[in-house]
Amino acid sequence: MGLIALFAVLLFPQFVQGQEIDLLLKGGRVLDPKSNIDSKMDVAVKDGKIYRVAAEIPASGAKKVLDVTGMLVSPGLINIHTHVYAGSKPGFADGQSSQLPDAFAPRSGITTVVDAGTTGWRTYPDFKAKVVDPSLTRVLAFLNIFETGFSSGSAIEPDLNTLDVQMTVDAIKKYPDLIVGTRIGHYKGKSWVPFDKASEAARIADKPLFVECHMPEYSLEDQLKRMRAGDIITHSFENVTERMPIVDENGKLRPFVLEAQNKGVLYDVGHGGVGFWFDQAIPAMKQGLLPNSFGTDEHRTSMNAGMKNMLNVMSKYLTIGMTIPDIIASGSWKPAKSIKREDLGNLSVGSVADIAVLSILNGKYGFVDSGGNRIEGDRKFEAELTIRAGRIIWDLNGLAATPYKK
Amino acid sequence: MSCFNKTAAFEKMFCKLPVFFLFLIICQFSYAQEIDILFKGAHVIDPKNNIDSKMDVAISDGKIFRVAKDIPIGSARKIIDVTGFYITPGIIDMHVHVFQGTDKNSTSVGNSSRSQQADAFSFRTGVTTVVDAGSSGWRNFPLFKEQTIDKAQTRILAFLNVIGNGMIGRFQEQDVTDMNPVMNAHMINRLYPNILVGIKSAHYWGEFTSVDKAVESGKLANVPIMVDFGEHNPANSIESLFLEHFRPGDIFTHTFSEISTGRESVVDEKTRKVKPFVFEAQKRGVIFDVGHGGGAFSWAQAVPAFQQGFYPDVISSDLHDQSMNSGMKDMANVMSKFLALGMTLQDVILRSTWNPAKVIKRPDLGHLSVGSEADLAVFNVREGKFGYTDVRRMAVSGTKKLEAELTLRAGKVVWDLNGLSGQKWAVEK
Repeated sequence: MGLIALFAVLLFPQFVQGQEIDLLLKGGRVLDPKSNIDSKMDVAVKDGKIYRVAAEIPASGAKKVLDVTGMLVSPGLINIHTHVYAGSKPGFADGQSSQLPDAFAPRSGITTVVDAGTTGWRTYPDFKAKVVDPSLTRVLAFLNIFETGFSSGSAIEPDLNTLDVQMTVDAIKKYPDLIVGTRIGHYKGKSWVPFDKASEAARIADKPLFVECHMPEYSLEDQLKRMRAGDIITHSFENVTERMPIVDENGKLRPFVLEAQNKGVLYDVGHGGVGFWFDQAIPAMKQGLLPNSFGTDEHRTSMNAGMKNMLNVMSKYLTIGMTIPDIIASGSWKPAKSIKREDLGNLSVGSVADIAVLSILNGKYGFVDSGGNRIEGDRKFEAELTIRAGRIIWDLNGLAATPYKK
Repeated sequence: MSCFNKTAAFEKMFCKLPVFFLFLIICQFSYAQEIDILFKGAHVIDPKNNIDSKMDVAISDGKIFRVAKDIPIGSARKIIDVTGFYITPGIIDMHVHVFQGTDKNSTSVGNSSRSQQADAFSFRTGVTTVVDAGSSGWRNFPLFKEQTIDKAQTRILAFLNVIGNGMIGRFQEQDVTDMNPVMNAHMINRLYPNILVGIKSAHYWGEFTSVDKAVESGKLANVPIMVDFGEHNPANSIESLFLEHFRPGDIFTHTFSEISTGRESVVDEKTRKVKPFVFEAQKRGVIFDVGHGGGAFSWAQAVPAFQQGFYPDVISSDLHDQSMNSGMKDMANVMSKFLALGMTLQDVILRSTWNPAKVIKRPDLGHLSVGSEADLAVFNVREGKFGYTDVRRMAVSGTKKLEAELTLRAGKVVWDLNGLSGQKWAVEK
């Protein structure tokens, strides 16, 4: 028997190799910014991992072959600004303002979401049990510096005694695969203590600090000055009274904003309900500030407003002139790097097979910003197929299905 | 006002005078009445009112103000050009699970994260009303109402589970001592008549006890029951269910389900013929609901059924965690599947607006009659090559797909895919 098997291998080596592929995506335009790939290639998946990326991988023997000609094959998209601690309480923490990740991620080509500080070290374990563990989507988190996360940050003045750098750092160390940084936001006081403690915890843990808004007493310039290289500011393109817009009255990007970018501060979109304005995003782009990531700030009020979903946010950037390779980079590899998860957001051989297959629709589309301003465009992203660790979790048009014979 | 003891002429004049004044006032009123939103140029499909043509729709004070050809734009505050699109009544998804919560002891859709948030799935698919299919029973409905229904923008109605505890687990659903028709009827008739529209019986392993208790509740409350009949071993007779246990108006859901054990199919699995008693049942008034779900829609049932002239009365999604990312996806996708089968758009809209409204005895919903609440959907019918998948990962291809352009709930824009209602912003060149 052994001899026969040996002969079989000698006779049909290509067959044996082919059999090892679980899923073969053929004919797509592969965009893998980490490896500088932007060309027509095939992608083979085996055992939940990327097995091979090359031109013309033979289909023979692959267990499943999908024709994705005309589509984009991208690393699974990463949404680094979400609120997904969904529950039954009012508000965000364990609340109804948060959204369940699987309800919006797979249908937008997203395989990883990062919760932006809805929990602190004290509430994270509950969040992990209720949302992180049961979700198909990979759910990571920035930990709020306030111990109970969002619930302590909005309505009432938070108790500065609940800020604990050590406990925050300990939580990050306890969940190294899940917690990717710390977060400050929704603080109405003048004291810099919360900001500095969030920053300190991040520094000790060697993680980025994620800076959200609703901190009216902190000037934008001071915030950016206190941020270190690799820290992330979100709601970058908002135009609200609460925080100075990055573009001034004359349409000029403020010099200290560019200086911060040069220093290494990363700008996330953080679209949300009120966080994205064309009168900020367009001049910023023209003057050299592109978003590093397309965080959507997914929550109850943003989901049905101008934001809609991450592909819609990406389509806005397509419409205002960002290139497809740049958009895919800011949708995958750049956010992966920003959260120091270089194992994600790429299609390198051996990486977990998180993949998005996207179509670009041609037609007449409109895109609205937080001020109700509308621009028109003629292209739009749509998620055809989403693969998480080799498993198809979204298949819009049944690419992986068998045709039914009527 | 009395018109007695007057001469005929005087009587005529005197009696007509108020009418005349009223007429003047109404004329005045109609002119003064501002149109808040005027939709111009769409093809209106309103099955209840037999409207299927190009018309304008005017909204005022959250209500349908006028549906007519060429309504003058004169006094309208906002005009939305919807040429090339379809306007339909707000879609009613008669089978969903939206009792979202975090009860650790619940292994099913009752008060758990297996239920989904109504607002996250409704408006983006043209849905303005959803009907929760028995996620809660009389014991936990008040929590469901307080926690979810009262806080949602979507109109949430509900079938009350025949089980007091609702859907918190498979074993709890077998508890015949927790089926209380009198309490169920009080909930519907006395406590929550505006929200509860029927009784749900589901996942019961025994004979007909659950169905019969549901019917008993339904009789007391004068509401229909909805039955998910599919976990018997061996399969229980659906002929008996339809013809001996159901009343006219009772609802069989998961109509096109085909699973090997526990559930009898409407289409014979060998001959692929619709069983004759199924036609008879529909004629008798049994309502057939799609209830697509994660595992309850097979092309092997739907295609022969359609070819043989058996159509569902109601199209619905059965939204929950297992269905949302599967072949179901969302209500517009389920509706599009019926377009792919060859059903006309008019018939699809009928089965997702006026038909479900009648089935749940809510004739105030599912149409665009003047004076009714302005729940409305603007659809784009995308042309292209689309695939629609069933539970067995079999795909039927189609050339049309419904996409919700804009959704109005009580006169308010709650979804606007391409910013039709937004102002235009000049891009710097």
